[in-house]
Amino acid sequence: MERTTITEKITPVFRKVLNEASLEITDQLSASDVDNWDSLSHMLLISEIESAFNIKFKLKELNKMKNVGDLISIISTKLEE
Amino acid sequence: MSTITIRKATLKDIPFLTKTIIEAEKSGTSTLSYSTIFGLNLNEIEQLISEMLLEEVDDCELSISSFLIAEENGFTAASLSGWLENASEIPSSVLKGNLLNYYLPRECFIKAAESAKYTKALHIDYIPNTFQIGAGYVEESFRGRQLLGLLTEELIKGLTAQFPSINEIYAQIFDCNTPSLKTYERAGFEIVSTKISKENDTINYLPSLKKILLKKDIKKSEQKINNLNK
Repeated sequence: MERTTITEKITPVFRKVLNEASLEITDQLSASDVDNWDSLSHMLLISEIESAFNIKFKLKELNKMKNVGDLISIISTKLEE
Repeated sequence: MSTITIRKATLKDIPFLTKTIIEAEKSGTSTLSYSTIFGLNLNEIEQLISEMLLEEVDDCELSISSFLIAEENGFTAASLSGWLENASEIPSSVLKGNLLNYYLPRECFIKAAESAKYTKALHIDYIPNTFQIGAGYVEESFRGRQLLGLLTEELIKGLTAQFPSINEIYAQIFDCNTPSLKTYERAGFEIVSTKISKENDTINYLPSLKKILLKKDIKKSEQKINNLNK
């Protein structure tokens, strides 16, 4: 799946979980950039993304993600597996 | 003769660290957020926290490496955690969220989503590149001996030795946690802000409707002590 398609698919998930209707999803976006991106929101975010793509991240994969760009790369890799 | 020794926590300390995290979450009340938010019972919570600690993920409140232990004559008396926020360019809340996502049963997520609005109302972001104090606990029979103060002092020494350029350390506590507030104030922390939830239902999930943010300027405190000793 193309990175742009993945971005389009994760954008509504981010907006819904983080309750930010106009949140712009970029590769550089990280938890430090969004108020209230707490552990609970992050947990729900990852869970919704796993459901949306029908994938399950390994803990090591999750702990390597520094920003949305990393997340998209890992989703892309997992979809090719 | 009783001698207190301070050491880093190891895998063997997981049962005590689990107790520390649970008691710190309760902050002297009977409200345990792992139970109110995720709908788990105490046995399930103990197992969940133990499993997450076993992963040995560094730089967050669920990291064994973040904890110091106070021992007296071989008995574990107290523990306290602290870490450098964003040490690996990943916020500690993300690392904790990853662990929760990985280990929590799926059925907990629906309940957690319902409570998010109420818990977020008291959320205070951790500031990157500052030290953060996490969970602390003293066994009942060892209370009144300033062990948390001693652990705080040792934690700051250890963290500043490792990261000498960092000058600020923060602690977030619920306002009902008077013993911790006194400990941190005695250790040179000052209240920098408070957050009050406007959502009354927050009290159904967390120990209080009010959170306090405390900060200590490490170099300024050292300077004060040096001036007093002159």
